[in-house]
Parts: sequence; C-alpha cells; structure tokens
Amino acid sequence: MDLFADIAYESLHKYGEELCGDKVEFTRTDDFALAVLADGLGSGVKANILSTLTSKIIATMLSSGATLDEAVDTIASTLPVCSERGVAYSTFTIIHVDNDGKTYLAEFDNPELVYLKDGVVTPFDRREETMSGKQIFISELQLSEGDMLITFSDGVVHAGVGSLMDLGWQYDNIVKFIRENITGQMSPLEVARKILLAVNTLYMQKCGDDSTVCVVKMKQNTPVTIMVGPPVDPASDEIVVKKLMENPGKKVVCGGTTSQIVSKLTGKELKVSIDYENPAVPPTATMEGIDLVTEGVLTLGKALEIIKTLKDAPEEKWDTFTLNKKDGATRLAKMILEESTQVHFLVGRALNPAHQNPEMPISLGLKLNLIKELAALVSSMGKKVKLDYF
Amino acid sequence: MRERMGDQTMKDLTVCVGSSCHLKGSYPVLKTFERLIKEEHLGDKVTLKASFCQGRCMQGLSITLDGEPVEGVTIVNAEDVFRSRIMPQL
Repeated sequence: MDLFADIAYESLHKYGEELCGDKVEFTRTDDFALAVLADGLGSGVKANILSTLTSKIIATMLSSGATLDEAVDTIASTLPVCSERGVAYSTFTIIHVDNDGKTYLAEFDNPELVYLKDGVVTPFDRREETMSGKQIFISELQLSEGDMLITFSDGVVHAGVGSLMDLGWQYDNIVKFIRENITGQMSPLEVARKILLAVNTLYMQKCGDDSTVCVVKMKQNTPVTIMVGPPVDPASDEIVVKKLMENPGKKVVCGGTTSQIVSKLTGKELKVSIDYENPAVPPTATMEGIDLVTEGVLTLGKALEIIKTLKDAPEEKWDTFTLNKKDGATRLAKMILEESTQVHFLVGRALNPAHQNPEMPISLGLKLNLIKELAALVSSMGKKVKLDYF
Repeated sequence: MRERMGDQTMKDLTVCVGSSCHLKGSYPVLKTFERLIKEEHLGDKVTLKASFCQGRCMQGLSITLDGEPVEGVTIVNAEDVFRSRIMPQL
C-alpha cells in the first residue's frame, strides 16, 4: 500500500533564550521519509549548533545512503567539545519510514519514542547496539494507516521542574496524557501542540528547558494537483488540463481564466457562486470533476496568509486555529494542509491582460512569487511539493 | 414582439467576481443588486449570477444583462445604474 508519513514538529524555547537547543530535520525522497530529532547539550547558541550539526549530518548522510554506523562516527568526530563540560554531545532519535510503512528507528539518549497503533499506545522491542562507544537502541516496525510515532526531547519529561512539579512531568505521565488526550483524528501538528501546551502550563509559561515534540502520522497517500494560471502558449492548454485530469487524487483550479480553460476543454459547466463566505475573498465556483475552483491571485494570497498564521502562531493561540471556514482561501489551505499529502502545482505563466492596468495592483511576478512562497512554506511543513511551469 | 411567457422573460444579470473586478467592488455591487431585486420584487424577472473573468477588465466592473455589457458600473453608482439602465429592460 502506498503510504505517506505526515511529519510535524513544534518547539518551545527555554525561557529567555532566542535559539532552541532542540532541532528537527527531515528529508523526503520518492521512497522514504526521514526525521531526526536532536537535543544539544546545554541551551542557547551552543546547544543549537550541536543539535543542528547532529540532525543535519544524520539526515544528509542517511538519505544519501550512508549507514547509521558511519553517521554516528562522523558526529562523534565532528561535534565541537563543550569548554565547560569537556564533552561533545547531542542526543538523537531517527525515524526512517519507507513508503510501504516499513520503519527503522534509532534512539540515543532521548526519551523513548511512543508508538500508537490504531490509537493505542503499543510497546515494541528495542535492541541495543554500540556504535563509536554510544549505546543506541534500534527497532523495526511495520506501520499502517493511522499509526503515529511521537518523539520528544527531555524538556518535555522535565516539564514543571522547579515550579509546579518536584520531579517534572515524568515519562509515564506523558504516556498517560497521550493515551487520554490524543485521538486518531488529530493532525500531527495538533498532537505536537497539544502536548507542548501542557508542557508550557507545567512550566508556568517559563520553560526551564527547550521542549520539542515531533509527530509522524501514517496516512494514505493522497496527492492534490493545483492548476493555476493559463499557460503562456495556448497550444499547451490541452496538455496541462490533461495532466490535471489524469493525475490521481484531488484536483483544484485557481484562477478565473484558468477555470474557463478547464471548463472549455472538459466540456463541464463552470458555475460561479454568488455567496460570499468572507467579503475579502472572492467566491468559489463548482465544476464537475474538480474538487475546488477558486479565483486566482487574491485567494492564493489569502491562503498563504492563513497557512503562515497557522504555522507561526504563538503558543497562546495554538488551540484556537481551525480551518473550518468555507471561503475559497480557507478551503484551499485545508485541502493542502490536512486533506492531502503531496501537492503538485501546474503553474501557467501567461500574462493576464486583465491585470495590465493601473487599477490592478497585482503583477504577474507577484503571483509567481506567491506560488513559490506557498510551495516553500508547505514543503517546510512536511508535504511533498512539485512545481511545473508552462 | 417577444412572447412574455414563463422562463423566456427571465433575464440573467451577471456580475464578474474575478480578481480585477473583485478589487473594484464586486461584493458591494452584488449586495446592492440583491437588495434592489428584493425591494422592487423583481425576483421573477431577473436572476443574479456571478462569473469569473469576462475578459473586459478595462471597462470598469464587468456586468452583463443577458450577455449585453452594462458598462461603467462602480460601487457608488450601482443603485442609479440599476434603476436607470437595468430595470427598464426587465
């Protein structure tokens, strides 16, 4: 079965620190997804450098075919030694998921990863291996749709130390919290934020240590294809529309002229709604065979804004963001973030004559930049993104 | 003479809601038309519709009555235009 590992993470910085000492790095290829959570010794700049080096080296080496042994050896001989403590140290958890759900885990000194199978916390076997003098726990799992892996740094385990709790939140209580509060319907980002909100409360909004949660959720691979803008050469119209219709998964058309092209070539009627869900976003339209039809540049701009707000939301607003509004921009954002796993943009670069007048503050360059920015943002949030220009 | 029977007297009043027209005020104009159709009890004579770009972005907000362009409409004069140029045709 074709599965997709949806990955999301979120961090809380130690109170007063600009930089986070935890780092999540992930890479994706056509065959697998790889996530690395590293927690550097100490906090601030030093910890940030250690964890960034560790996660980046591991992710880069493993995704280009090196063995774990080689990666660990490289880290051991690369990391700068801390002047106070005389050691070079960063923990790590490696999650490597193949498209068929076959999963390889390597854990070094981070709290044990929690595995949810069908929404139930499930223990699994770990075997110990020694690499470059480090005790590393290796495990292999076969994940299926809906399964979740939750890994976190020790800041989460220690939540509350020095304020509300004598011993901190403690591992067993976190597992209990996960068991009681996390359901299979939640998106990975929601899960990560839910746990961190509890952490933030326990620390009384002043984290004593960097805390990071990284969540991997297995989903059925559901691609979405988004056609935006008419092709430069009208002769390519047919090719692009054919691509849109033949691609598997959901289909979105953004743009007035673009949707008229699709309507003409597929012979399906385009019905534009006069109901404004939000006066700031032009109404959507419907067309048989297409899951969502919207106006172009304004809706895209708004969708980008929504996704940005969601991603950069400060922790006090984490639990208030939902994508339940019905306007074109929110529906587009929801489709990209929650209802699909990979996004394929078919971008037409024709100059819209309608936009070439002084009253229209939107240039073609702006639209293309908008799409580029959206693609980069969505990809940084764990989706696989492909851009094709016509 | 046109037969005034059934659907044949029903006209389509279409307002463009594409990017360019949206910025020129499709929303308030649509709302004005909606209100006037209700006030003047014209619900059985005209259907208010939306469309994406009609390709006439240079002539102000793009509006058509049964395919015939009604030019020069803005947020400010929408009510006047409706009363003076659209209503007589219904």
